[in-house]
Amino acid sequence: MNIIPCSIKTLKGLYDISGVEVGQHFYWQIGGFQIHAQVLITSWVVITILLGSVLIAVRNPQTIPTDGQNFFEYILEFIRDLSKTQIGEEYGPWVPFIGTMFLFIFVSNWSGALLPWKIIELPHGELAAPTNDINTTVALALLTSAAYFYAGLSKKGLSYFEKYIKPTPILLPINILEDFTKPLSLSFRLFGNILADELVVVVLVSLVPLVVPIPVMFLGLFTSGIQALIFATLAAAYIGESMEGHH
Amino acid sequence: MKNVTHSFVFLAHWPSAGSFGLNTDILATNLINLTVVVGVLIFFGKGVLKDLLDNRKQRILSTIRNSEELRRGTFEQLEKARIRLQKVELEADEYRMNGYSEIEREKENLINATSISLEQLEKSKNETLYFEKQRAMNQVRQRVFQQAVQGALGTLNSCLNTELHFRTIRANIGILGSMEWKR
Repeated sequence: MNIIPCSIKTLKGLYDISGVEVGQHFYWQIGGFQIHAQVLITSWVVITILLGSVLIAVRNPQTIPTDGQNFFEYILEFIRDLSKTQIGEEYGPWVPFIGTMFLFIFVSNWSGALLPWKIIELPHGELAAPTNDINTTVALALLTSAAYFYAGLSKKGLSYFEKYIKPTPILLPINILEDFTKPLSLSFRLFGNILADELVVVVLVSLVPLVVPIPVMFLGLFTSGIQALIFATLAAAYIGESMEGHH
Repeated sequence: MKNVTHSFVFLAHWPSAGSFGLNTDILATNLINLTVVVGVLIFFGKGVLKDLLDNRKQRILSTIRNSEELRRGTFEQLEKARIRLQKVELEADEYRMNGYSEIEREKENLINATSISLEQLEKSKNETLYFEKQRAMNQVRQRVFQQAVQGALGTLNSCLNTELHFRTIRANIGILGSMEWKR
């Protein structure tokens, strides 16, 4: 009599330990909105990492940069090169935006791959990279859309909309559609890649806990970096595209 | 078996507890793999990153050194140019002073020479005027004399008859004779 409930509990336990929690979220209610709290928490951690390291690096700037400052200057140089190649001559005002995108996504992805989030347990769902959630990536992609609209409008005024009927007015529907597909593809690419990476790792860990997931984790690190780079490059490319003049 | 069951039960209760907590299961939290990955990353990444940053530092250092050298060279050139400018200014001042005195002297010389030649011209002008006057006077005198002589000749030719002739001759002889007597 006592064995059956116990075995049921055992099965439930087995199911729980091997179960991969996809689509389970830890909800917070803020002003009538349901919010994925685990994303917020990990985002805050990522933001804290970024701000903290930057503060430490620029606390005592030198003419000849030492370790931390040198590293951050190298990153800044990298981002500037990236935006310069994608945007062109007037890349200056867009370096902060591109840099924010790149650094946030990169640190988010790598934090998902490197930090032992699962040590902390939530009432529902589990902590993972912020870019693991579609909301984050959609927000980033919409920011990019707003940025390239703003860039084009501030550069060319209302004649920015002429690009919709170029080269021929026949392409008008496709050109309009492009404005929707751009954020869609940006957000889905990032979300899909990161989610897939983490899922593969989680599934492998639940199957074979040791050694086997390690190559996949390295692959995840690699793709995470590449995804951050791709997102930043595409954002810069969109901004550059909307700013380039047809004369 | 019972222990395992209990641990499963314990684990199964975690999510439904509805609160934050720590998952201490090393395998489930993937801690070992993460440690290995981070270790490998640090082990290999450190060297690469160090090389990269050292290169960058060296590049910055060499750039700074180059520009400092350039700056020093430029300063030296500037200093040289300034010294030369001073020298040239001094020379220019000297030349200017020399030139002024030269010009003054030349002016004085010229004024002197001009005044001398002016005086000479004045003198010769006066002489010429004098001579001219003299000549005019002589001419007038000659003309008057000629006219007088002609008049006298005419008078003589017209009025000279024999009696008068004789009288004149006699008077003249008388004059001459008196002159002879006197002597």
